[in-house]
Amino acid sequence: MSQRAKKNARFAFMLTTLVAAMIGLSFASVPLYQLFCQVTGYGGTLNTENVAAPTGVSDKTVKVRFDANINPDLAWRFKPLQREVTVKLGEENLAFYEAENVGSKPTTGQAIFNVTPFKAAPYFTKIECFCFTEQTLAPGQIVSMPVQYYVDPELFEDLDTKEISTITLSYTFYPIELDESEQEDGEKINLSAWVTAPNKS
Amino acid sequence: MSNEATAHDHHHDHKPPFFQRWFCSTNHKDIGTLYLAISMVAAIIGGLMSWYIRLELAEPGIQYIDDFQFYNVLVTAHGFIMVFFVVMPALIGGFGNWFVPLMIGAPDMAFPRMNNISFWLLVAGFILLLLSAVIGDGPGTGWTVYPPLSDSNFHPGPSVDFGILSLHVAGASSILGAINLIVTIFNMRAPGMTIHRMPLFVWAILITAFLLLLALPVLAGALTMLLTDRNFGTHFFDPGAGGDPVLWQHLFWFFGHPEVYIIIIPAFGIISQVISTFSQKPVFGYLGMAYAMSAIGVVGFVVWAHHMFTVGFDVDTRAYFTVATMVIAVPTGVKIFSWLATMWGGSIKMEVPMLYALAFIFLFVVGGVTGITLANASADLVFHDTYFVVAHFHYVMAIAAILGMFCGFFYWIGKMSGKQYPRGLAKLQFWVFFIGVNVLFFPQHFSGLAGMPRRIPDYPDPYVAWNYISSVGALITAVGTLLFFVVLWMTLRSKETVGANQWGVGATTLEWTVESPAPFHTHEELPDMTGKAPAE
Amino acid sequence: MLKRFFALLPAGLIYLLGGQALAEVEMRSKPWQMWLQEPMSESAIKVHDLNLGLMVLETVIVIFVLALMVYILIRFNEKNNPVPSKTTHNTLLEVVWTAVPILILVVVAVPSLKALYFTDSNPDVEMNIKVKGNQWYWSYAYPDNGDIEFDSLIIPEDELEDGQPRLLSVDNPLVLPAHTKIRFLIASNDVIHNFAMPSLAIKVDATPGRVNEVWTEINEVGDYYAMCSELCGVNHGFMPIHIKAVSKEDFAKWVVEAKEEFADNSSSDQPKTIRLAEAENVTR
Repeated sequence: MSQRAKKNARFAFMLTTLVAAMIGLSFASVPLYQLFCQVTGYGGTLNTENVAAPTGVSDKTVKVRFDANINPDLAWRFKPLQREVTVKLGEENLAFYEAENVGSKPTTGQAIFNVTPFKAAPYFTKIECFCFTEQTLAPGQIVSMPVQYYVDPELFEDLDTKEISTITLSYTFYPIELDESEQEDGEKINLSAWVTAPNKS
Repeated sequence: MSNEATAHDHHHDHKPPFFQRWFCSTNHKDIGTLYLAISMVAAIIGGLMSWYIRLELAEPGIQYIDDFQFYNVLVTAHGFIMVFFVVMPALIGGFGNWFVPLMIGAPDMAFPRMNNISFWLLVAGFILLLLSAVIGDGPGTGWTVYPPLSDSNFHPGPSVDFGILSLHVAGASSILGAINLIVTIFNMRAPGMTIHRMPLFVWAILITAFLLLLALPVLAGALTMLLTDRNFGTHFFDPGAGGDPVLWQHLFWFFGHPEVYIIIIPAFGIISQVISTFSQKPVFGYLGMAYAMSAIGVVGFVVWAHHMFTVGFDVDTRAYFTVATMVIAVPTGVKIFSWLATMWGGSIKMEVPMLYALAFIFLFVVGGVTGITLANASADLVFHDTYFVVAHFHYVMAIAAILGMFCGFFYWIGKMSGKQYPRGLAKLQFWVFFIGVNVLFFPQHFSGLAGMPRRIPDYPDPYVAWNYISSVGALITAVGTLLFFVVLWMTLRSKETVGANQWGVGATTLEWTVESPAPFHTHEELPDMTGKAPAE
Repeated sequence: MLKRFFALLPAGLIYLLGGQALAEVEMRSKPWQMWLQEPMSESAIKVHDLNLGLMVLETVIVIFVLALMVYILIRFNEKNNPVPSKTTHNTLLEVVWTAVPILILVVVAVPSLKALYFTDSNPDVEMNIKVKGNQWYWSYAYPDNGDIEFDSLIIPEDELEDGQPRLLSVDNPLVLPAHTKIRFLIASNDVIHNFAMPSLAIKVDATPGRVNEVWTEINEVGDYYAMCSELCGVNHGFMPIHIKAVSKEDFAKWVVEAKEEFADNSSSDQPKTIRLAEAENVTR
């Protein structure tokens, strides 16, 4: 190969590694995104790692609302047992959600959550909650699920968040499929079998 | 010196037999021609789709397209075809391949066979895209392909998968092309042609190639994630399983925003060459121009979330993306003013390429300023997903970039074919097209201001006024496009030939030193640029 | 001023008299409209004013460039200027045309960011509304007003009554009290939708697995129309949003009626979606 051809080939190889690096970066974005969200509380991601006990209770208060959502493919009724409470910053509190399987088969759900306004998320610390835990309910079964949390007094020190009056914690339950051995009565729910009637117009 | 080179070239001008020449090419000019051809074919198909859409939108109610999935597929395919198979092949594959080696004094590209692979990959990608539209229900997701709409729950069947494969293949084509261009430009410039003596078109292609290299792989990653979500049980974008639909948007737009600069920067390069040639003056502030394009390219990588202002992220982040996006206006302004300053004091010849370049400058400014409105996250609250956005991007892409393509065509067709285009008809075609695209897209600003959303097949009755006018504009544009093909046909059949330099003293770049049509092999002896005046 | 006028009149009486005559606004596009819809909330006014300022600036820029180009083309035409100059640099000019745009952008950024932070503020609200996007209709819930829930479907063209705008009318509009701070919690049951209301400067994605919030305070009683603003499938253009803003008194009356009308909502007989779940998302 001529000198020039060698140079060209070497350069092309370098550029190809750059391409590979960018592809790698886009796949790495998945865990990196998650890490970034956790560290910064971005997009309403709560502080669930390094959960320390609150340092002290302040006299200042904030309202906390509880919101519940169900994915339409899950035959459950899901609601918070308290709609809105006023809590002191730094005070540990307990809230409850109730879920009931109103379908005719045992089903399993898993909840995800977020907090709004998003900028409040770093200050809303959950000590214990039922998120990301699989819950299997038999038909007609009702369970009460606790959330233990506190709101960090730093909320009112931060320029961005000191005007906040209400924080809303939202949970959404999604159905998940478990394999035969994990599910009680065996029959799987077909998740993509929902049909929509066409709109008339 | 050029006489000797010409005589030399003649000896080696025997071309390969037809099949070898056009299907197994390793010649940058022929491959450039192939790219221009596919761009034109795709333009007709993509254009037909858009004209069908405008036909439906001319009046309220549904007249022609009552299958709304098909409507959404038209919208999607139109977008993909115009971006990936019309503008990019014409500017980068077409003019880039043809003129980068000529301008830097190289005999061909660094990897001539890979050049050919790039072209045929593009053809494969195009076929896959067309297949995606006819197999199954078609991808009715918009070119942005957001999940969950694009996942297997809401778009079952093979359509979206074919679309994904199409983009993988087209992306591979462009990445290989980008590597080829970068290596060629860095390693194969003629002696004395330093980086700071390269024509601005070559700068533009170089910067574009780097953008392609860095942005397309991210699209490839995102597409692969969507493919595995759809078919192999992963949950990247499935919230129920811990994934996030917003992740797709970040990845897509991280590619998507640089993509629009990939589309326009080569056009910037062409405009610089043309303005300089027809003002008979070197470009004002050469270095500023080169660095402005680089700045646009670099900053273009850190503004992607201005496409996502309504997703619901942090206000501080929206503030950052607002400011960062507006920053791009600064280097862009430098370019506009530099072009005007190039013309200032010049001796301007109003030939057809110059008409296109002037129209480009003006209409790019019109499109660019509406971008300032959209850049502001708060202002965007009333414009997101309305026809105001559609008007904005069509002004900068469908008008400006396409004017750039026509500009390059009329500037270089003589060099490529050796023939003279019919001047009168070409001027007429310019005006018809110019009027057409303005009548087509300007009223869409008003529709958007009044609140008309995007991607709808029917609209509430009060929106009819501007929609009707816009559709009339589409008709005029269609006529203008047809006229272009008439001009093309007449040019290729013309008896009037042109010489090596049909534009006179203003044309100072190396392609004007070789014959017209450019011989099959050029610069077999490298021109010596040492000691010559710099390109600026 | 109009607000004070209404406060003086017994609004309930007007409502009972079927009084639509007194300036009830109808917020949707007018034919040949060239500008934004009237802003009907403080956020919208700020956004509106910002856009006006930006548009003026942008028009000035375009006219300026056009004027320069026209001048150049006349003055430096081949005929008028046969000998081109060789000037390719002017440092002062290059500095000016870099610095001046930067200054302009700084001047633009200030009111822009102020408007942005205002729309993102979190005032104390008087009520919360849950908004859910579905293929292809919106669901609304009033957790603070007795858990009223209902779906809001487009009225097909052949069922429209007089005065009901095509493609914008729904069977159950979102009834809200004017002059009241309201928080919307917006999510989706399937794909990404977008809850919009241009005259209130609202445009928020409804994304599954995520709840977004936005607040508003509607300045005037009337009908507000908008459309879903994120491609969500075949009927994306057919899931409008109709907010009916009424006085606080009328709202209280409506709540009483609505509790009855929508009490049995989980088994609504409209065959919009066959779900696996019998019960809709019940949220309080």
